[in-house]
Amino acid sequence: MATQLGFYFDQTRCNGCKACQVACKDKHDLPVGVTWRRVAEHGGGSWQSDGDTFSPSVFATYMSTACNHCERPVCAEVCPTTAMHQRDDGVVAVDDDLCVGCRYCEWACPYSAPQYNAELGSMTKCDLCTDYREEGLEPACVAGCPSRALDWGPIDELRERYGDVDAIEPLPDPAITEPRLVITPHRDAQMTGSGTGTIKNPLEV
Amino acid sequence: MTAISDHPTSSDASPGGISRRSFLKWSAVAGGGVALVSGTRQLGLLPGAGLSASAQEEASGVETIWSSCNVNCGSRCPLRMQVADGRVVRVLPDNTGDDALGSQQVRACVRGLSYRQRLYSPDRIKTPMRRVGERGSGDWEEISWEEAYDEIADSMKRIIEEYGNEALYLNYGTGTLGGTITSSWPPISTPFSRLFSLAGGYLNHYADYSTAQIQGAVQYHYGGWIGSNSLDDAKNANLVVMFGNNPFETRMSGGGEIYVSQQTREQAKVKTIIIDPRYSDTAMGLGDEWVALRPGTDSALVAGMAHVMITEDLVDQEFLDRCCQGYDDEHLPDGVPAGSSYKAYILGDGPDGEAKTPEWAAPITGVPAGTITRLAREIATTKPVLINQGWGPQRHVNGENQARAIFTLCALTGNVGIPGGGTGEREGSYGLPLANPFVIDNPVEASIPVFAWTDAVEKGPEMTATNAGVRGVDRLEVPIKFILNYASNALVNQHGDINRTIELLKDDSKCEMIVNVENRMTVSARYADIVLPDTTNAEQMDLASQGSAGNMGYAILASQVIEPLYDCRTVYEMCTELAKRLDIEEEFTEGRTQEEWIRHILDASREDIPDLPSFEDFKEMGIWREPNPPEVGYVPLQDFREDPEEHPLPTPSGRIEIFSSELWEMAETWELPEGQRITALPEHLSMQESAEVARSDDTYPLQCIAHHVKQRTHSTYGHIPWLEEAHPHVAWIHPWDAEERGIANDEKMYVFNDRGRIRVSARVTNRIAPGTVSVPHGAWYEPDEQGVDVGGSPNTLTSWLQSPIHKGNAQHTMLVQVERA
Amino acid sequence: MFTDLSMVVFTVFAQMSVGAFIVLGAVQVYARVQGGRSAEDVDRVTDPALYAVGVTLALGLIASIFHLGTPMNAINVLRHVDSSWLSREIAFGLAFAGLGFVFAATQYFKWGSAALRQALAALTALVGVGLVVSMSMIYASLDAVPAWSTWVTPAQFAITTLLLGSLAVGAAFMGTVMWRRRQAADEEAEEPTTDAGDLETISTSLKGIAVASIVLLGAAFVVIPLHLNELSQGGAAAVASAEVFSGAMFALRLALVFLGAGLLGFFVYRFAARMESNPQPLAVVATVAFGLVFVGEFIGRSLFYESMTRIGM
Ligand code: SF4
Repeated sequence: MATQLGFYFDQTRCNGCKACQVACKDKHDLPVGVTWRRVAEHGGGSWQSDGDTFSPSVFATYMSTACNHCERPVCAEVCPTTAMHQRDDGVVAVDDDLCVGCRYCEWACPYSAPQYNAELGSMTKCDLCTDYREEGLEPACVAGCPSRALDWGPIDELRERYGDVDAIEPLPDPAITEPRLVITPHRDAQMTGSGTGTIKNPLEV
Repeated sequence: MTAISDHPTSSDASPGGISRRSFLKWSAVAGGGVALVSGTRQLGLLPGAGLSASAQEEASGVETIWSSCNVNCGSRCPLRMQVADGRVVRVLPDNTGDDALGSQQVRACVRGLSYRQRLYSPDRIKTPMRRVGERGSGDWEEISWEEAYDEIADSMKRIIEEYGNEALYLNYGTGTLGGTITSSWPPISTPFSRLFSLAGGYLNHYADYSTAQIQGAVQYHYGGWIGSNSLDDAKNANLVVMFGNNPFETRMSGGGEIYVSQQTREQAKVKTIIIDPRYSDTAMGLGDEWVALRPGTDSALVAGMAHVMITEDLVDQEFLDRCCQGYDDEHLPDGVPAGSSYKAYILGDGPDGEAKTPEWAAPITGVPAGTITRLAREIATTKPVLINQGWGPQRHVNGENQARAIFTLCALTGNVGIPGGGTGEREGSYGLPLANPFVIDNPVEASIPVFAWTDAVEKGPEMTATNAGVRGVDRLEVPIKFILNYASNALVNQHGDINRTIELLKDDSKCEMIVNVENRMTVSARYADIVLPDTTNAEQMDLASQGSAGNMGYAILASQVIEPLYDCRTVYEMCTELAKRLDIEEEFTEGRTQEEWIRHILDASREDIPDLPSFEDFKEMGIWREPNPPEVGYVPLQDFREDPEEHPLPTPSGRIEIFSSELWEMAETWELPEGQRITALPEHLSMQESAEVARSDDTYPLQCIAHHVKQRTHSTYGHIPWLEEAHPHVAWIHPWDAEERGIANDEKMYVFNDRGRIRVSARVTNRIAPGTVSVPHGAWYEPDEQGVDVGGSPNTLTSWLQSPIHKGNAQHTMLVQVERA
Repeated sequence: MFTDLSMVVFTVFAQMSVGAFIVLGAVQVYARVQGGRSAEDVDRVTDPALYAVGVTLALGLIASIFHLGTPMNAINVLRHVDSSWLSREIAFGLAFAGLGFVFAATQYFKWGSAALRQALAALTALVGVGLVVSMSMIYASLDAVPAWSTWVTPAQFAITTLLLGSLAVGAAFMGTVMWRRRQAADEEAEEPTTDAGDLETISTSLKGIAVASIVLLGAAFVVIPLHLNELSQGGAAAVASAEVFSGAMFALRLALVFLGAGLLGFFVYRFAARMESNPQPLAVVATVAFGLVFVGEFIGRSLFYESMTRIGM
């Protein structure tokens, strides 16, 4: 098997600015509503009050996610046309000539990676900026992150360098798709399944 | 080369004698005005879209050209614009430099990356227009440039003739900022200032909407703007304490202070405490502890901490004795009665007889007394502590004292003038000392506080030095009759009390002529008599000065990327044409084109920056960096601290004036509005619409502030579809306050007071203190038929309220009620 | 509401077709084995309903096309039968339609022996079951959607299939009876409209249908609370999904199905005995019962799609 590619996300550096999201949109000319990379705010906690005073014990974190080019791409598994497919390098991509626009992959992916473009009538998604990589450039989101919180590369190398955390709220159980994603968690990050918070910006993700 | 530069202070506001040249080194201020509005939104289709990646590879016609993002965010980013067939098809971030502080890559933030949608916004003003209905009616006729120039020049001549040059006003505006020719701020450096000055001058303003109160505070406390230790100096600290300072949301460039503070923290891992009504992104990403307090009560928090430090003998007495005036009664100036010192104020030995114990401060601030005591001990016993403040705490009616209280905390703990310490001001940063020979002096001396221009329109000649802070003259002679509003949304949207401001502007017998120079149809442009369509910086060349970037100096040579769109023209051309009609063309241009001026400025700058590349090389490289030379310090007041006799401050005493002699005098002589006070000490003042008032006010029990958000830089970049999608306009409200009113997350709510009513989506979040709502700053005012602002501008709710000393905009001081919409 | 209209129409119609086909088979078997009637006799009763099944299925398949963003590529959906339940669903759907068509044709033209046609019918029914199973697996196999990835999905699809199939057959039988009576009255035909044997078959069938629908209703009312309970124990997405099953629309759906299948089932059973003298009330009741359940199931299926809340982000 050829080298398998994936993403790295340093959550300790993310301020939720969404430069990654917009860099991606500019690169791929994505209209409003088609958002290959998104950022969720996850948070919770509580406040105590005592007379006229109050004290917070709250937490919040950001999570930037695109396609994780998973080991087990459920999107491709369920795709009836084989338009959604995984390349040798692990990148999951859509073949426009085959896609029928049934949106089944959209239901299947717990990372919302496949996104329907109504104008095209077909599914679209992150391909790790294949054309940029061919030219020796970084994917747009990686190059665009002001805080250098994103990286990409062969997943083995990323795991060696950054560890193997891939299950932080609000991400799903990684057993579903086995994402090629490595995260350096924020101090307030909660492991998937044991979270006490919620997504605070549900309309943005 | 001089030291770290900081916030600019206009020349008349800086007794510290900061020269014009040094303030020009500074680049961007956050805060007030800026541009733009419109009803229309861009739907679906992307301008310039459609060039697929593969097509791009094939198309040999794609060219990458350096431009820049010139807005008032405090950062400044180069943008690499890709052009095909005369249209911008991609906007790419900087790809030069590296990740090391001092040579960091200046990656654009989310806004800069959306530049294409701003450039091709359907709100672009396409041709000169004259209003035909009443002001603000929205009825326009298109006119030719010749007609526009003639009418503006005639109007200027008539008003100068009838009222004198003092009736001309260049309104504060920061929609185009950082450029050298295309600059709407600081006022003295705009081409319109040059034009007006050559035509006899115009009424000045001092300070700005971002920093009015803290500029007043530094003047009396330190003698002028000095800044605080830069954020990379946190590596020398053992504790960092930030009051309302939020680089993660207000300095978002990947080369700017967010990056500097992040990197420094990763390397030095110094404990950081964030004091803020909001759990800001800085609290999330940089802070180890969040102290939540009510807006406008930082000065009470400091007083409570001071009580602990004084009674537990934790203050740096040696520093206070040697370097400060008025900490204790022994160090008061002659003739001032005992009991007037800070120590007396804190211990209850002053006129109010009240000890400022943590128990006193707790109900005011909302911070439990135990927390105040713990903080005080930690701050006083850790050395050194890097203490700074953002500009939120000072944007209050008691803002000068808020700012001075935080400065005083630095003096009490002896952290001033040492590495790892701070002055309590906002962080300083290094800046390239670019020259600017394009700037000339304004012959008119009279100057008003920046926020007082509506007063000057309404009742100019009633305004004096002691009742309105007028400078240069004792009293204004005439009201403002002519406003040139260039790249400014402070005419309406960013000013206080929008509804009242509109009423004032509608009366065209008061201000007789309003000219708006702008590239998008902003809220302010709606109220102009003549609108001139400006080109964006992608459509012209300019030299852009840097943003705040820690220890790194840089400049950007932004080339012209595309031809001007529609019938837009550059401000340089507009000013030249007006100069022609005012018979000052030769003086205005000195025979130079815009590009020739830029070459000239570069040449002039080489005197102080000998390594500056040639024009041609610079054009090629786009951004040029120079890290802070080692001999230039980034720790202000080191020499003063070492030897205050030899290096006195430009205050009357030469010392840090915890007790300000000038304010002591002003407290006696100035006429103040009902309920306001000036105090020689940084006392906590509860004035109009304060936290204390909120808690006894049944009608408007909530404090409202206006935090700065990622969607916009003030109001610039408003209504950009990608940005509205990424960062929708949502007002923050605490779950307790929301629940009481039956409001759920993402539901619509009304926020209102006697001045207006807005409709806005709720972000129900425990990231904000109870009793406080925050309506993000810069949203575009959009009244519906009932007068409800469905655009959700916080300035529908703010007032014209000014702080007592520097007459600053108290735009975080407002009380409101909220209900479900 | 009704955002996935084409999917709602397709799944409800297709399931109803399969259900009706199976029920018709059951009627055949029962009438011939228990009632001792000839194949020809029973065909007279069931054939009109059989043709209606064909029309229903065709409508459902047409509706499914509207769900596609690029219908021109529709042929590609068969490419991934080895992995995608959606490919399998379409394969079974087409097979069911094809076999059903052939079977209907053989019935119409009376081609082949009865036994052969019977075998063909059995095969078609089996493929129909395959269609419903693959249809439910499309949803039940999605780990990302807690409201769907549960045994409840196949259970509910099966209930819908049989309930709507039964009541549709009942309504079709009575429709046929009434239509033939009207025909006869108009033309004063000498042939008896529907002979006594047929009526006997129909009334027996209707009784069976009534009993079945009450049993299925009972099953539905067991499955729903179990589903809600399962969702309430799940994560945030599951809990959010459950909210869909709490509003007025959900209550309406329950009421409609209860009225249609329960109450009216009861009356169907009672009136079936008196059909010979006056079939009209029974026809009305059977039609209304079908109508109510159909609307209830239609709403239920819309809510099913609305409950699509994914885990993750
Ligand atoms: S808004 Fe400021 S930080 Fe963002 S791209 Fe423009 S200059 Fe850079």
